[in-house]
Amino acid sequence: MGLSTATTAVSEAIQLCVFDSRRGQQEGQELDKILFFYPADLPFTKQLYIIGLSEGLITFTRTFSPEAACEVIEAEKHSHVFFEAEQDIWMVLVVEKNKELEAIWRIDALQKLLKEIHSLFLMFHGSIRLLLEKEPTGEVSRSHLYSFIVDYLNDFLVGKKLQLPSFADCLKERGTVQMLTIGRDAALEVQALVRTLDSCIGNASCHSMILFQDLLVSTTLSPDDTTNLFSYAVLRLTPRVLSSGASSWSYLIRGNVSPHVAQHGGNVGNHVIRPLQHGKWSKGRDGFLETDIWGMEASGWVGSTPKIWFFQTGEQMCLYVHQHKNLTLILLVPVSSIPNGEQGISIVRQYILENASLKIMKLEEKLSKGWSGENAYHVGGYRYLLVDDDRQISRASPPGKVTTLTKESLLAMSKLREKVDLEKSRAKQDSDGEEKELEVTIRAKNNAWVISRITRGKELYMVLEKANETLLYASDMVEKFSNRYCNGAFSLD
Amino acid sequence: MEVGRSEILGAMDRKEKATASLLKRVLVSCASQAKQYGGCIAAKVPKVERDMCLKEFIALKIPGPRGLFFDDGNKLLISPTVDQVFSWKTVPFNPAVAYTTDAITEGPILSIRYSLDLKIIAIQRSSHQIQFLIRETGETFSQKCIPESERILGFFWTDCPSCNIVFVKTSGLDLFAYSSDSKSFHLVESKKLNVSWYAYTHESRLVLMASGMQCKTFHGFQLSAAGIVRLPKFEMVMAKSDANSKPVLAIEDIFIITVYGRIYCLQVDRIAMLLHTYRFYRDAVVQQGSLPIYSSWIAVSVVDNVLLVHQVDAKVVILYDIFTDSRAPISAPLPLLLRGFPGPNTDVRSSKQGSTSLEADAVPDEAIVYGDGWKFLVPDLICDHVNKLVWKIHIDLEAIASCSSEVPSLLEFLQRRKLEVSKAKQLCLTLTRTTILEHRPVATVAKAIDVLVSSYTRSSKVGPNVKESKTDRLQSVVPQVSGSGPVPGANNRNSTTGVESEALHRTSIFPSSDSEENADIEQLNTVPGDHQSIVEAQASSSQYLHLGPGCNRLNDYVSDEGSLISSPAISPDEMYSFVFAPIEEEIVGDPSYLLAIIIEFLRRVNIEKIKVNPNFYVLTVQILARSERYTEIGLFVQQKILEPSKEVALQLLESGRHNFPTRKLGLDMLRQLSLHHDYVSLLVQDGYYLEALRYTRKFNVDTVRPALFLQAAFATNDSQHLSAVLRFLSDSTPGFKDTSDYSRYHHILTEMNSCASA
Repeated sequence: MGLSTATTAVSEAIQLCVFDSRRGQQEGQELDKILFFYPADLPFTKQLYIIGLSEGLITFTRTFSPEAACEVIEAEKHSHVFFEAEQDIWMVLVVEKNKELEAIWRIDALQKLLKEIHSLFLMFHGSIRLLLEKEPTGEVSRSHLYSFIVDYLNDFLVGKKLQLPSFADCLKERGTVQMLTIGRDAALEVQALVRTLDSCIGNASCHSMILFQDLLVSTTLSPDDTTNLFSYAVLRLTPRVLSSGASSWSYLIRGNVSPHVAQHGGNVGNHVIRPLQHGKWSKGRDGFLETDIWGMEASGWVGSTPKIWFFQTGEQMCLYVHQHKNLTLILLVPVSSIPNGEQGISIVRQYILENASLKIMKLEEKLSKGWSGENAYHVGGYRYLLVDDDRQISRASPPGKVTTLTKESLLAMSKLREKVDLEKSRAKQDSDGEEKELEVTIRAKNNAWVISRITRGKELYMVLEKANETLLYASDMVEKFSNRYCNGAFSLD
Repeated sequence: MEVGRSEILGAMDRKEKATASLLKRVLVSCASQAKQYGGCIAAKVPKVERDMCLKEFIALKIPGPRGLFFDDGNKLLISPTVDQVFSWKTVPFNPAVAYTTDAITEGPILSIRYSLDLKIIAIQRSSHQIQFLIRETGETFSQKCIPESERILGFFWTDCPSCNIVFVKTSGLDLFAYSSDSKSFHLVESKKLNVSWYAYTHESRLVLMASGMQCKTFHGFQLSAAGIVRLPKFEMVMAKSDANSKPVLAIEDIFIITVYGRIYCLQVDRIAMLLHTYRFYRDAVVQQGSLPIYSSWIAVSVVDNVLLVHQVDAKVVILYDIFTDSRAPISAPLPLLLRGFPGPNTDVRSSKQGSTSLEADAVPDEAIVYGDGWKFLVPDLICDHVNKLVWKIHIDLEAIASCSSEVPSLLEFLQRRKLEVSKAKQLCLTLTRTTILEHRPVATVAKAIDVLVSSYTRSSKVGPNVKESKTDRLQSVVPQVSGSGPVPGANNRNSTTGVESEALHRTSIFPSSDSEENADIEQLNTVPGDHQSIVEAQASSSQYLHLGPGCNRLNDYVSDEGSLISSPAISPDEMYSFVFAPIEEEIVGDPSYLLAIIIEFLRRVNIEKIKVNPNFYVLTVQILARSERYTEIGLFVQQKILEPSKEVALQLLESGRHNFPTRKLGLDMLRQLSLHHDYVSLLVQDGYYLEALRYTRKFNVDTVRPALFLQAAFATNDSQHLSAVLRFLSDSTPGFKDTSDYSRYHHILTEMNSCASA
């Protein structure tokens, strides 16, 4: 069966399931709970075993903590990571513990992964609960979830093995946005463009997001929507992704998945939208990205306009993506305010080409001129991660530089982050919204400094290798960094 | 007796009602003298308000006049009688102006001009003789033209350093210098040329001499305080009706005008029905395009640098602003309106839409618009020979503004006005406001903003530039700015604006570069350096008209950047208080449009590196917060679109009451601005008293009352914290242990501890 043939070998190592604890409450109907299971070819008995165990753990822990049931269960051989995506709809990730280094995970990172899957799913399909309510048999939901999550996991496929974010990714933060730093001049140019885009269809409240390469330049969306759309753009829309094309993913998978999905979703007579499928976006001659993910227009010539749901308002928006060299513009127009189908859509496109082209070109030029390459945010001597929780923004040393760190340093940082995560979640439960400050500076075995600073919603993680041995030196380095790059946010002492 | 009349006229300069009744009485009682009153002429469009009427008259009542002369060097209107010469100053234009008289000897008078220091009167008695009268002593002497074959065509006084008076003869120019000791003129220099006729305006200091069969070959000289410049010979263009006819150019067909400090010559081509324009550069005369004409009698006036082409036959006037290359008129042909002329039915403003000969009924017979006796004087006066009236032309900006819909170009036009600066400014502000309120396309508004901002930049930049150029340039490059000095653009913008008007109005035949501020000092690179001294210094008179008495002008290099607003340029502060702040109150609902405008404005201002009032940013935050666009606030703050300031920080704190991240932005901004006291107080207020204490220790903040920290610590009901705070304060604040705060909280702490132990 489909994907399973390719992944049987690793089927035991990682399991991911989505289930609805409201369903299949009666005996004999337990299978109805399962909305998604990976690997799909695992015998149902095993699937039911894992879901049953998870449900049991949830019910058990609920008695102690009704608000937030369990987040993780560490067993001898496995870790179970829980995420309650919607009420009573759970995503559980089971990862095997073994001796391999790749198998050293940070739970919070895995949870963020589950969260990202769900957020993206919401953006494209709306809530699972709603889907289930619309169609109680769950067939549509299942086929949607299946193709969506499998498409998502494809990105983590290395050879035949799923490789989830491990300790080596400890200086990254999933679910945050990376921003391009621009000067005031450029910022004003950007805003002038944003205003032009936002007024593309009269008084309707349009939104836009602008990216330069893989970095965010501007957004008018709420933080959650920004994060989701940004994640999607970086996964599938930016010039880097488009140019790498189909080569980055396995033909094997493409060949196999489609018939499988047809099995699941085909019989519903409903088109299954697979926004995460690779190689589905291409740049048209007018600079707009085209896709047939959302099916074809009646005419059969052009793909239907993509539509997404806003997280907070639940409004459905048409998605337009325009790309000029390294600049990607994402424009969102409320579906309700597009007058008449295809014609209205071409009006919007025409408007952008006529009114914004020149601005787009100039801006791209300006940003390209000021862009100093992928190592733009490298700070010599530091390997860092900076997170602004309030605005869901992060910045980190470029991946190429992080790989120069030794495994020991990375492991130490991963461990430190785990501790900090724990501390943070405790603080969240204890205090009434008050933000705690935290300072940890560790001398690792390999004599590297592993540092963490938390202050009022901002987090800084830092590894200093080949550094002087005094603590004073380490805190001095933090101070310097804070003053130069964080407006002194971390220099309280 | 005549003096009495002038006084009556002076009294008329009041509110219309009073004026009307007074005038009515005057008109009734001395009907015969009523002819002596003048009025003002306004180029106007139909809609005019009542109290806009200007009451500007000059009564020219003298017994037995023998002609009217205009001495444009001194702006004197001169009327000789048999044994006396009467003169009226026309600048400043004052209806109640008193005349002066001088006794002269009898004889024919061909022309008459006062010397520039007003000490000598020169009277051309015949084509061979000019008589001089020294006013102080009454002495007279004559200068004759020796060869009988030559005729004197005319003469003018000059402020050229080498000579005082110039005779224009059929054989060329004779330049004479006056020696006050010997009370005589001696010939300094002669320029040999064939001259059929000539044209001269003191404003331009330019004399143009026509020669040739068709009188279309011209030689020109500019005789200014900076010396003498000879212009290259040039030919004017004339269309031929057929191959054999050779039209002859007449003196009435040539006009020398000065606009924006540039000198142009306008030439009527009667066959082609075109008005050709030529611009004078020091080494070239360049034809600049042609304007259509619709009348065989064309007259030209310049008011406030606007060119008025009177189509006399058609009784309309067409306005051009020839600052840019555009040759399009500012508006459709307009009728002239006589205003301020008190007739029985004065309510002329009752908007006679589209009527061409307005108010003919309201105006007494003698004041017919474009009457036969009209003579157009340089630059903006009209003398009615027949009726002995002098009119001054006034442009009704408001009316022009209300009939044009092309806002950016209209603003450009208004920004260039120097005469009614405050009105122009007011109109600009109103126009901008209305454009935004009418939700005109952002691009249009952006263009309008562009106009205003660049005009402001120019006006604030000019000061230092002129100064700079002066230092490395000859002293003879005239003057004007001597009094103004450099005004640092950054902190004193409003006062610099005065300098611009100066620079703009200087007459020069140097080519202007595109950048306005350098117009008068830039050289064409073909010009050798030693010729540069001819920059003409004369400020155009029009600039001073509204300045009123006390500004003694002509010939002197007054810098008038006093308290008067001398430019309609609008500063960003004014943009905020007169455009954005009022609009913000009126616009309700979706703020996207206003936001787009604000961005365009900031963008423009940023390009010009002008500082913006923090209130502007505060406004932006308010607008964004009102529609809960907090993401954008964050982005704006982070990208410094909203420049950090205490005002913005406080607004962020205020707007962040419902959005915690926004509040934090405000706090962070306070910290970054090193506003320690505010930052610490707010931290304590939010309950972060420990952080606040650390911060006070780091930055030595000692202005926050210790009681605040203690209260905050006490509020947590944690004795450990309270004790820590107490301890910290005792250690860090000298003398804290003696204060009442200490004893009070020390007491509280002991109680807490005893409760706990009990």
